[in-house]
Amino acid sequence: MSASVRPKPYLEPQYCKGCLRCIEACPRDCITPGSAINPATGLVPVELHLENCNGCTLCLQACPEPYGLRLETDRAGLEGEFVLEDPAKLFGEKCVPNHSEGDLPDDRRALPDCEPLVLKGTYATAIGALLAGCRHVFGYPITPSTEGAELMARILPKLNGHFVHAVSEVAAVNMMYGAGGAGLPCMTFTSSPGFSLMLEGVSYMIGAEVPGVFVNMMRGGPGLGNIAPEQTDIKLACRGLGHGNTHAIVLTPSTPQEMLDLAIDAFALAFRYRNPVILLGDGYLGQMTGKVRLPASMIRPGLPAWAVWGDRAHRHNLISSIALAEADLEDHNEHLNRKYAAITACEQRVDCYRCRDAEVLVVACNTPARMAKGAVETARENGVKAGLFRPITLWPFPIDALAEIMPGVRRIVVVEAGPGQLEDELRLALSHANIAPPPIDHVRRCGGNLPAQDEILATLLAREEVLS
Amino acid sequence: MPATDLAPAPEAPRAPLTKKALTADHPTWCPGCGDFAVLASFYKVLEKLNYPQEKIVTFAGIGCSSRFPYFVNTHGGHYIHGRALPFAAGISLGRDDLHVFVFGGDGDGFSIGGNHLVHTARKNPRLTYVIMDNSVYGLTKKQTSPTSPLGFKSKTDPWGAFDQPINPMRTLINSGATFVARSHATQVNHMVEMMLRASQHDGFSVVEILSECVEFYPGAFDNSIPRKGGSFQTIELKKHDGTPEDEERHDPTDELAAFKLALEPWPARFGVYYENKARKTKNALEQDLIATTREKTKHATDLELLSKTFARMR
Ligand SMILES: Cc1ncc(C[n+]2csc(CCOP(=O)(O)OP(=O)(O)O)c2C)c(N)n1
Ligand code: SF4
Ligand code: SF4
Ligand code: SF4
Ligand SMILES: [Mg+2]
Repeated sequence: MSASVRPKPYLEPQYCKGCLRCIEACPRDCITPGSAINPATGLVPVELHLENCNGCTLCLQACPEPYGLRLETDRAGLEGEFVLEDPAKLFGEKCVPNHSEGDLPDDRRALPDCEPLVLKGTYATAIGALLAGCRHVFGYPITPSTEGAELMARILPKLNGHFVHAVSEVAAVNMMYGAGGAGLPCMTFTSSPGFSLMLEGVSYMIGAEVPGVFVNMMRGGPGLGNIAPEQTDIKLACRGLGHGNTHAIVLTPSTPQEMLDLAIDAFALAFRYRNPVILLGDGYLGQMTGKVRLPASMIRPGLPAWAVWGDRAHRHNLISSIALAEADLEDHNEHLNRKYAAITACEQRVDCYRCRDAEVLVVACNTPARMAKGAVETARENGVKAGLFRPITLWPFPIDALAEIMPGVRRIVVVEAGPGQLEDELRLALSHANIAPPPIDHVRRCGGNLPAQDEILATLLAREEVLS
Repeated sequence: MPATDLAPAPEAPRAPLTKKALTADHPTWCPGCGDFAVLASFYKVLEKLNYPQEKIVTFAGIGCSSRFPYFVNTHGGHYIHGRALPFAAGISLGRDDLHVFVFGGDGDGFSIGGNHLVHTARKNPRLTYVIMDNSVYGLTKKQTSPTSPLGFKSKTDPWGAFDQPINPMRTLINSGATFVARSHATQVNHMVEMMLRASQHDGFSVVEILSECVEFYPGAFDNSIPRKGGSFQTIELKKHDGTPEDEERHDPTDELAAFKLALEPWPARFGVYYENKARKTKNALEQDLIATTREKTKHATDLELLSKTFARMR
């Protein structure tokens, strides 16, 4: 590629900490120290003057911030509106009642109408949680998810709540166990390595039926990996929540709006089923800014009958995951299995975009779904009947909706920022449903790279036989 | 066969270690970060120690300070946030012939790694731990650390921190670390002296170095920087020379006196707080145990011992 066509960098000032490493790295003196404080961060971002820039990307390599400097070409697919096709489908009536006898019910208060807010994903989640009545947040800083917790730290004391910076993720999850056991809506913000650490506590919470919301903004792994977006905790969230017979609803948003909506939903689900809920985002989504509409009402949470109330009437409530007798533990597991079955029957959520007549079905969630949607659009313009099947719940996998579409589907393309964990969920779901799949292709990227729209499109157009 | 038998045979003498031989990647720290001076001092320490280069290992957890191993041309490891000490203890116990150094931040060491710190101190493996304390989480951009002072405004404590900060010297002495010292990144000679003494100590030796984060907590340690109007007060150690001045000097083997020093008000003093040469290292105790049990077996071979064990299981 010649220098003239190489893409140039651009700066997201709110992610620049002004460390000046890029200035040192640039051989063409294109970057200078900034002079103005960025009001959003209180830091002084650098300034770019790209007349002499040859697109060598040395500045990008020097920048320690994953979202500070990016290439112009990376903007495509990440910006622009990405609106849900039919929100009612995602948040419709559910079959299990929200309250049982003895509960102190939630109270809803109308919110005044207001213009949409412009929020980044992590903030949108925090606002959603606040509107759902969450006032207890426990966490340990980890990029790229800390900002949600930081917003909570600023707001919560004013709302008679608290954020605790725990000594580690292990402490944070156990604080959630405590607060959740007291019947309080509580949550954490974390990212992959921190989520790994929390899993012991998650298993205990599932065993003891304690609700809580875990926001995991997935980053590159394994090990320390990096802080760029990946989707490689799908396996953990869907199949590996600590030891034992564990499952939890896994929600996968693709926009800041969904980060907010699904955060609200996550609390309702956590309490409806007395179970943790995992809100699984990716590193990019947390940083992405978008217009966010607020709901019509906010919730003042009640108190469930099973919780630690601190009064005589509830003195016998006990929160525990231990059942020493084999028969008791088997009973308990059967109870959990019935719960998992109810969740599987009632809580599958999906966004089907142009799927009705689709012959080529793209399956994607989180940020890669945005690129996938663009590719589906372009494929349609090229005469390929493509559609996007975007699971909103990864567990339970929305197999019922998929089964309806499958008869017309001649080919599936799974698009993910990872080496196949989403595809594994898809294949497992198809297999359990006894559906023999058509050929499955995929576009997979790792290491913090997101699948590009062009790559996806190329795969969509690759097989001639599906061109109509 | 013990692992040490795997070490290559000694070679002919060679040129002394130089800074040039010891430097690796150019540090990625912000210009002005205190950690640069710690690194420069560590090169000096290694030059003085002049260990064979391949016998030196440099480890770290996660944090700005924990990037250290990349910048030192030795064996190295960059590990889980807060877990560098057990990792290093594993190497130290498995390979007694190596010189093990661990570097990390205050969050890494006192928060998520706090439990490991206490128990590593208790077990006393032979290794040197340097805590680069900037009283803030640097890498994750300004959250409260266990050493942030009361009232410190950070992103997790926008209203000012109100959790009681840890007193590192007190914590370390109390946990049973056998060498505890404190230094300052603006005092290169002092840092070199402390790190040198620590690395020559036979046991778990810790040096806490106040190292300013210019990005997220500038000025944190100004009151111990003379050039900025503060004062750098060092600990004078007893010379046992019978003079009346010597009465006033600190005896680092006196645990109670070390405690008293640790309780002095911030910024307190710099130097060696505590030194216990009497306690055996975990490495030595393990070796003792091996020696006595081997004695009991009359130095039978592995195969003989295992065959006997299997015979009993038949
Ligand atoms: C399990 C886990 N949790 C959180 C993080 C994110 N993290 C990286 S470094 C760090 C703290 C850094 O502070 P400190 O140890 O004081 O080092 P400094 O950057 O100040 O030198 C945190 C919270 C992580 N890497 N792993
Ligand atoms: S791409 Fe290269 S030339 Fe352009 S600003 Fe970055 S470092 Fe400078
Ligand atoms: S390297 Fe990145 S964070 Fe540092 S000044 Fe440049 S753009 Fe900002
Ligand atoms: S953020 Fe602070 S601790 Fe980290 S390199 Fe910059 S100055 Fe040093
Ligand atoms: Mg620190």
